[in-house]
Amino acid sequence: MGHKRTLLLRLFTMLGAVLLCYAAEVFVCLFGNAYQERLVALAGLYVTLSVSLNMINGITGQFSIGHAAFYQIGAYTVGYLSLLAPVSMGYNSISWLAMMMLVAAITAGFAGFIVGLPSLRLKGDYLAIVTLGFGEIVRILVQNMDVVGGSYGMNVNPKIQHLSIIWLLAIICIGVFRNILKTGKGLVFTAVRDDEIASASVGIPVTKVKVTAFVMGSAFAGAAGALFAHYEGFITPGAFTMDLSFMILTMVMVGGSGSITGSVVAAISLFYLPEWLRDQPNITAASFLSAIFASGVFIFTLSKAMDRYYQNTFQKISAISFAVCASVGFKYLSTFFLELVPQLRDMEFEGNQLRMVIFAAILVVLMLIRPQGLLSNFELSWKGIQKLISKTLHAVRRGV
Amino acid sequence: MELSVLPQQIVNGILIGAVYSLIALGYNMVYGVLRLINFAHGEVFMLGAYGALFTSWYLGFSPEDVYANPNMQGEWWHLAIMLLTAMVVCTFVGITIEFFAYRPLRKQPKIACLITAIGVSLFLQFGGALVLPNTPPPSICEQVNPFQGSFKLSLLSYNYAEKEKLAAELNRADDAFQQQFELEKKEHRVTNPFALSLKGEVLRKNKQEMERRYQSFVISEDLRTYTICLPKGQLVMLVTLGILLMILNFIVNRTSIGRGMRAVAEDASTASLMGINVNRIIVITFAIGSALAGAGGMMSATFTGSPLTTFYGLQPGLKAFVAAVLGGIGSISGAVLGGFTMGISETLIVWLGYSSYKDAIAFMLLILILLVKPNGLLGSKRVEKV
Repeated sequence: MGHKRTLLLRLFTMLGAVLLCYAAEVFVCLFGNAYQERLVALAGLYVTLSVSLNMINGITGQFSIGHAAFYQIGAYTVGYLSLLAPVSMGYNSISWLAMMMLVAAITAGFAGFIVGLPSLRLKGDYLAIVTLGFGEIVRILVQNMDVVGGSYGMNVNPKIQHLSIIWLLAIICIGVFRNILKTGKGLVFTAVRDDEIASASVGIPVTKVKVTAFVMGSAFAGAAGALFAHYEGFITPGAFTMDLSFMILTMVMVGGSGSITGSVVAAISLFYLPEWLRDQPNITAASFLSAIFASGVFIFTLSKAMDRYYQNTFQKISAISFAVCASVGFKYLSTFFLELVPQLRDMEFEGNQLRMVIFAAILVVLMLIRPQGLLSNFELSWKGIQKLISKTLHAVRRGV
Repeated sequence: MELSVLPQQIVNGILIGAVYSLIALGYNMVYGVLRLINFAHGEVFMLGAYGALFTSWYLGFSPEDVYANPNMQGEWWHLAIMLLTAMVVCTFVGITIEFFAYRPLRKQPKIACLITAIGVSLFLQFGGALVLPNTPPPSICEQVNPFQGSFKLSLLSYNYAEKEKLAAELNRADDAFQQQFELEKKEHRVTNPFALSLKGEVLRKNKQEMERRYQSFVISEDLRTYTICLPKGQLVMLVTLGILLMILNFIVNRTSIGRGMRAVAEDASTASLMGINVNRIIVITFAIGSALAGAGGMMSATFTGSPLTTFYGLQPGLKAFVAAVLGGIGSISGAVLGGFTMGISETLIVWLGYSSYKDAIAFMLLILILLVKPNGLLGSKRVEKV
């Protein structure tokens, strides 16, 4: 009985996910412009990328910083296939896309297997270097391949822009990794992360586990690459540089390595942050500098005020509000004084120029005040939500 | 793939390798004491180059000054001041980065440090682009460099007589043309050397022919005699590298600070039990490594004259990083060896005709070395502790 119920529940969840994605696509197409639609699509791709990198980095503890390579392999596999079959051979767009995703996932998974093999010998930093090098090698090789357009890039036909498929892939990715981690077979991944030698001593095939993680993570990145190629309709090697790898890695680390929820949240927010900064009006050098000083003051006050672990909630809230007030006050004060200097008053920065600076600064600051990531080990789950609701209800009832 | 340019290419590789080894030394020293790949090291190199640029401007070699007086010539002490300023600037930058970005994370897992390093690197690149001059990219004026020109070494005997003869012919043709040009300038007010009379046109063609013959003779003779061209500036660079390496060797092997460094690299916690101030040693290591990167930045910017942007350190930083791993990360002589290996193999790849694969092959070499000998060429083997 219970088994049947779980099956039914799963079926409904899957159906619900499909419907939700479709509804999201319809909603975005109805109420948003092309730019917003593209942002939503790319955010979905970033979610897939960061969750799949989290499988390698956070959950299995293998340090890979070349994730863009697998993304690129997926995209270029699809690009090459579209050259061979330019009319998509009479398939309708969704089944063609699914086929392409599968092929890209297999190719990228194979590449992941090849990169995963050195992890038998290499650990930590050295593995990081090898994956970084692999990413560069793939990019430069593609740049020199005339079949796929070299550094000019190539067109991918047909251009299939299904927002819902992109988000469905993200949801499948989340679901697969989450469910694997709940089974006994999935526990070995965290075991290898926590202590390799100890897990080898209890009979866990460490090598196999590591390579499996690499293959799974890179396969999903490859599938995302296939969707990216079809969504954009045009790919260049310049879209898959080391910066992209660093960005994905940052999403994983900011969200908290090992937390899939964290990866999703960080991927979406870090993807939207630069786009939001792009829209901001120009600011003067004086106010930018004072903002930097003020955030320094904020961190300093907060860390000094929060250092005492015997505080109760009220004291914590007052400490935070004190820090906020102090930093805001400092910001206005320092802006006033800095604007007395004519060079600082007249120098203006565009939001577009500042976005990478602020991105980098947030990265550094977040790592300094919370190195384990925003949601270090927290996972969102149905049970957790249920507990939270019942707890709140209980509290409300008691209060009444 | 001309065999006769091979010696020249190897020399070029050594000269490039000098810069790589200066940067790689910083990577290796920091990795030795902290077990941290300092991704911001390439940006320290970039700031060193900018420091040298501003110093050269301050010394009177800004573009306006040189435009006003194109015949001005630098002295060797101009270069020395630029080198020192670049090193001092980079020392401060390195210490600041260490204090604000790495020290608070000393007790945290290494990956957090690495992310911070990436963040610092991005911050310096893009934040630097806001304040440092980079459009159009400035470059250090070559007038500041007194070591212009180059030495030529030939393996086979050089046919100087033929060269002199051709040069004399070229001179004669040039004189004749100039005379005719002056004449027509005076008589017909012609200012364009391409709009002369028929006689002038013949003389101009003759001069061009002589010039072509002279140049092609020089090139073919260079190829025949395996001539190597040694730019004087880059020789100075090699000598400076040698001096800096000697100083570094003295510090590491002969002073108490160096002993402390070696002890911290061996085992930081035991070293601190033996009364070594680990934090102080780490700061000094950062300072020395960054100063070396600054020297590399100054020399690279001065002697190659390449335009500076805030992304100047990206490629050399990566290559030097590969060089550091190649030589054995954590080993000082390994960094130098790796740097030269990297430089030479890079030019050899270009010599073979695969210049577009230059970066890829650097990384392939790296992966191969890591798979065969994971600790690099000269790295010491580490036993993993449970």
